[in-house]
Order: sequence, then C-alpha cells, then structure tokens
Amino acid sequence: MTYLTELQCSECGNLFDPGIIQTFCQDCQAPLLARYDLEKASRNLDRDAFRVRPRGMWRWHELLPVQEEENRISLGEGDTPLMSLPRLGAEMGLRHLYVKDESLNPTGSFKARGLSAAVSKAKELGIKKIIIPTAGNAGGAMAAYAARSGLQACIYMPKDTPLANMEESRIAGAQVILIDGLISEAAGMAGIKAREEGWFDVSTFKEPYRTEGKKIMGYELAEEFHWRLPDVIIYPTGGGTGLVGMWKAFAELEALGWLNDTKRPRMVSVQAEGCAPVIRAFEKGAQFCDYWVGAHTIASGLRVPKSFADQIILRDLRDSHGNAVAVGDDEIIQAQKQLAETEGIFAAPEGAATLAALIHLKESGWVQPNEWIVIFNTGTGLKYLK
Amino acid sequence: MAHKILYVEDNVDNMILVRRALEARGYEFIWAQNGTSGVELAETNMPDVILLDINLPDIDGYEVARRLRNSGKSSLVYVPIIAVTANALRGDAEKALAAGCDVYMSKPINIRELWARVEGFLSSVA
Repeated sequence: MTYLTELQCSECGNLFDPGIIQTFCQDCQAPLLARYDLEKASRNLDRDAFRVRPRGMWRWHELLPVQEEENRISLGEGDTPLMSLPRLGAEMGLRHLYVKDESLNPTGSFKARGLSAAVSKAKELGIKKIIIPTAGNAGGAMAAYAARSGLQACIYMPKDTPLANMEESRIAGAQVILIDGLISEAAGMAGIKAREEGWFDVSTFKEPYRTEGKKIMGYELAEEFHWRLPDVIIYPTGGGTGLVGMWKAFAELEALGWLNDTKRPRMVSVQAEGCAPVIRAFEKGAQFCDYWVGAHTIASGLRVPKSFADQIILRDLRDSHGNAVAVGDDEIIQAQKQLAETEGIFAAPEGAATLAALIHLKESGWVQPNEWIVIFNTGTGLKYLK
Repeated sequence: MAHKILYVEDNVDNMILVRRALEARGYEFIWAQNGTSGVELAETNMPDVILLDINLPDIDGYEVARRLRNSGKSSLVYVPIIAVTANALRGDAEKALAAGCDVYMSKPINIRELWARVEGFLSSVA
C-alpha cells in the first residue's frame, strides 16, 4: 500500500487526483509533486523496521506512489553503497568524505530509480506505451523497465549519445530515434509524437513520479547516517529530479519525525561550464534559468539547456543555503582519474563533476575539513567508453 | 493604461492559455494567427511586448522577428520579443536570438516565468 494522497502543483498549490493519469499543472505549466499522508504514516510506520526488509528502493513502498505490489516493476534498484573515501579525503584534507555510488543500480545509473517508479505507476494507471527524450541513461533505464513491464517504449536521443545508451535501449526492444540536436530538441520531437500517436511522455518533471524514485536516495542517506543528514551534498544537475527529490525526502523525513537532528544539508548543484544554466541563474539571483545556447560538454547527462523544473531547483538550492558550481571538461576528466586512482571508482563524467566541484569548494573554504560531505556518482564510467 | 502584449501563435489552445494568464495580470492582449498578420498588427498597434511562436503557417517566427527589427516603425526595432517554440528543431534558440528575439522560451510555457519575463521587460522600459 501507499500513503499517497494527491498530487500538488509546485507553483499554484492546486491538488490533482493521483488515481488518474496526470502530467503537469495545465494552468501553471509547472511540475506536480506527490503528497502523502505523512501524519498517518508517522503513526503507523517504524523507521527502524525498514532496515530489515529485503534490500532495494521498494522497501520504502509506503512512501512511493504505487498502490498494488503487483505493479511494482523492479530490477533491484536502490540501496546503492554509501562509501567513505579515506584516501581521497586525506589528500583533500576532508575527514568525512563519502560517495553514494549510484553506478551499482540496474542499467548502471541513478536513472533506474526514477524510471522504476514512473514505469510502475504508468502500468498501474493502464498506460500501454511510453516515450522519453534522453541525454542517455534515462533512455536505457526506461527501455529496461518498459521491457520488464511489457510496455512499449520509444526513445529520442541525440545522435552523439554514448553508444552504450543506444545499444541498451535497442536490445531491450525500444524504438530508438536519433536526432541531430540536444535533449531539449529531443523533448520537442517526443512531445509532438506523444500528442499525435498517444504515447505517454515520461520526460523529466512532465510526469510526477520519477522524482519519487529519486527521492529514496534521501531516505537511504538518512538511514545510513543514523537518521542525521550530512552537512553537504554535491550533486550533478541536468533535469534536476535527484536534487529536487532528495530535498523533498528531507522535508518528508522531518514531517515523519524520523530525523534525530533536523538540520538539513547544504545542497550543491554541479554543471559543466559548457552548459550551466542553473549556475548562471543562481549567481544572478534569478528565479528562472535562461535557455543555454550552444550547450556542449563531455558529460552528456549535463547537456540540458533548461530544466522544466528550473525554478524548483533554484528554490531548493537557496532554501538549503547551498551553492552552484560549474566545472570544465578538463577538470571532470582529471577528477574521474583521481577518483579511480585513489578509491577505485570509475565514475561517469557527471559523477566525476561532483569531485571537481568539491575541489573548488574546498579551495574557496566553502566546505570545512570536519564537515560530513557526500558526493554522488550518478553512473558508471564504463558506459562512456568510445 | 494597460500594457499591450501581442501573441503571434497559430495554436488556439496555446493562445487561450496565454491570453488567460496575461489578462489575469491586467494586460491588453492582441492575437495574430500567422506571421504576416503578426507583423501588420505589430505595426498598427505598437505592442509593448511581443510573444512570438516560431512555427507559423506562413512565414516562420525568425522571419517575423527580422521584419519587425527592420520595420520603418522605430519602436518595433526595440520592442522586446520573446520567442516561444516547441523546440523541435536543432538550433531553434540560436536562430531566434540571431533573428532579433530577446529571450527564448520552450513550450510548455511556464506561466510564472512568462509573467516574470514580461514584467521584467516592462519595468526596464518604464
């Protein structure tokens, strides 16, 4: 069962019925977020009971949006390792440095979480065919979960997306359409096909449930840190579901009364210098991002010229007293090497970008040696081999 | 007097959504359903801000923007133009800015962002 009660527009606050297919608020053209009866959940659920359940994201099923167990489409996502980085920490003068390694998810990236939740809910709502624009890993994840659920899948991706993403999508039976453009253009084309042919669009934040899968990263962190949260979380930002999802998780955990200390982390958004709309808007004090013209970076997951949820991302960063850092591709490559050499982790470029950002933050004094810091590796570097 | 906003857009559903949003803020709303009539309406009505869809049935939004910027009416050379597109073609944003648009927004148009951008332009003009 789930304690899901309604969906709420992130801007006007209007409520929507989660028992029928929903996309985004048609009045505001803004994302919907899932709301739960946390008061009731708090009375009925014991946070410590979750630890002994079978591992994986769905052990938190009461706080995920799917009603019936038979509709949960799982490939074993979630419960990725939170590892200390003692050698890297010593090199950098940071005593409590950790990585949450999302590369251990099915399909090799954090996208598995969001797509597991979204595809499961789509199945529960009777949807038969789903479509997605992707910078790479989300497409591969959607193809896998669609295959497991028996849904038809169609994927639009830039033609320079890593080969692994194309092949994993095709082998899972998805229709893959390569486009000469970026994810934003893929989104435009997928949207047109969805309207014309009746596909359900699971683009980032254009349906409400991918965020729910991603938020479980926040629940796992809280549990792993014994119901206290780290001081700083450094996270790569493309569409922003992970960052928004975790911030949502922390609010839910506080409402549930499960945190021993309600002090929230400072959230850091990391983007590439060649595509940094969030960083630019954050630095300007803007409410929205300007569309980033001429986006380019080796971190394909960060080539997102403007997120549909840009205002939520910016709001969450500011509410957390966080920061936003742009890093160069050369710094990403160097950080990828450093993480592999010191700790044996072959990170995706997007994940390595978080280490590159941490180096900046340490040099500037924004993070302190005694702080508890978590960087996120969002995928495996193996998927980016030429 | 209410500020005038011209929306050049062939899709009636999009037009209704934007009209409702802008009229709720007290703006006078003018609508052109294709590029040619958009240029004509701009020349006769002198809007304070123009929202311009790129995919239009006759001339495209880039051409509309170029004609407005080269218009004999001096106010149209400087009127803020917000390009609005479904962003289905490579380089839409780049082309829109090169044609003379000031800002690029992709559909679906976030209404609060639209309000903020329109208000931003009007306050900088005032």
